[in-house]
Amino acid sequence: MTDQPDPLAQFSAALVARAKAAANAVVAIRLAHERHLTGLLWRSDIVIASEQSLPDNTDFELVAPGGAVVTATLTGRDPSTNIAMLRLATPLAEPAMRPGDAEVGALALAMGADGAGGSSARLGLVNLAAPEWHSSRGGLIDRRIVLDLALARREEGGPVFDASGACLGMSTFGPRGQVIVIPTATIARIVPLLAKDGHIARGWLGVALQAVAVPDALRQSAEQSSGLMVMSVVDDGPAALAGIVAGDIILSVDGTSTQRWRKVARLFGSDSIGRKAEIRLIRSGQVMTVQTTITERRAA
Amino acid sequence: MSETATQLIPAQRLRVAVWTSDPRRRNVLGRVVAEAGHLVVDGEDTADVVLADGGIAAGETRPVVTLGGADHDRAGMLSRDADARQIDAAIRAVAAGLIVRAPDLLESGFAAINEPDGHALLTPRELDVLTALAEGLTNKAIARRLAISLHTVKFHLESLFRKLGARTRTEAVAKASERRRLETINL
Repeated sequence: MTDQPDPLAQFSAALVARAKAAANAVVAIRLAHERHLTGLLWRSDIVIASEQSLPDNTDFELVAPGGAVVTATLTGRDPSTNIAMLRLATPLAEPAMRPGDAEVGALALAMGADGAGGSSARLGLVNLAAPEWHSSRGGLIDRRIVLDLALARREEGGPVFDASGACLGMSTFGPRGQVIVIPTATIARIVPLLAKDGHIARGWLGVALQAVAVPDALRQSAEQSSGLMVMSVVDDGPAALAGIVAGDIILSVDGTSTQRWRKVARLFGSDSIGRKAEIRLIRSGQVMTVQTTITERRAA
Repeated sequence: MSETATQLIPAQRLRVAVWTSDPRRRNVLGRVVAEAGHLVVDGEDTADVVLADGGIAAGETRPVVTLGGADHDRAGMLSRDADARQIDAAIRAVAAGLIVRAPDLLESGFAAINEPDGHALLTPRELDVLTALAEGLTNKAIARRLAISLHTVKFHLESLFRKLGARTRTEAVAKASERRRLETINL
């Protein structure tokens, strides 16, 4: 009996070893009122955080692994992929960051910061691993990864590892408290762009839209059963300059039907800025076409 | 219980600093604060509570109630279109050292573009009826405003209730506003 290693104790010891190895990639980002968020140490001088939860500051105080307090400056933030990037004033030890790929049913170890230089850990399964998706803010996320574990607010933004110790990405909250992962591939794609410009350029029309059913009488001339109704128009935006008004129902943009939002969202990447676009719409019961020029999205 | 409660809620007059970059909005919020029986003050130092638009860099010496934005480190977090009652309640609560969150902000998170089911989409006319419903108009008043018959109003209402899965007018308005919040896309 004593010669036989206990598999459960082995499993636990292996997890402890993983959590210890992962701790050098976890930092605390201090907030007001002695609260904190977690950051992922991506490179020795770069920290990644969850954009949706990071306050609108330029300078931050971070607690490095081991407890040293270091300062960091916001380099850029991208709400469309929920990635914020901070640069450390003094680099820390380079973390071991090997990208991993999520598989349904695999173990996932989500790390958080305890605020005093230590880390906290959460274990769960990869609940869902699906292909790329588009966020409601228009960003492309390389994989849809949902975890089957609970996370505290202060743990959001930490790295998530698989059983081999490879990094799946950064933890964040989806709708209704669901814990999702922004994949390593997405972070690797966005970080160089944020380092260069501080934001991700996106095409913009300056309209808020809601899907509506096309009234029966207009379906034949519209050639589709749904469209996007303009709920509001931003003053002096491209849509306003093209004469688009609230109540117009947009049927297509450059021939791409608005029945499929995802396809339309793809038309507004950084390469769309400055491009002329033809918008087909219904106004006062008539189908018509207007010309507009896509500009760069203004800072929110 | 009720006796304790009444003793604990005196009509306390708080000093509130209003922080927003829009002067018109400042007037509106100032009026909301004043009508709730509080005093609008200029500096943060003389205030009990700061009421600020999300993203405005308010100080950290007083509890802050934000309207919109994602300032999770603030004591109070309401949506940008919070009503006067909610603003008053939040101001009093954070002054008493509590943390206040609007439920829809707790539920918010990084989400996918929501492609709604094509069959349940509302028509522009149904949206018009819904706007009138939200204003509390009667069927007769809705018919007058939209220049349609009472029969047509009832037809639109039935369709609205079915598509939204609502049983009452209030429920229809609430479900539609939730849908708009989740499904509005900005291009």
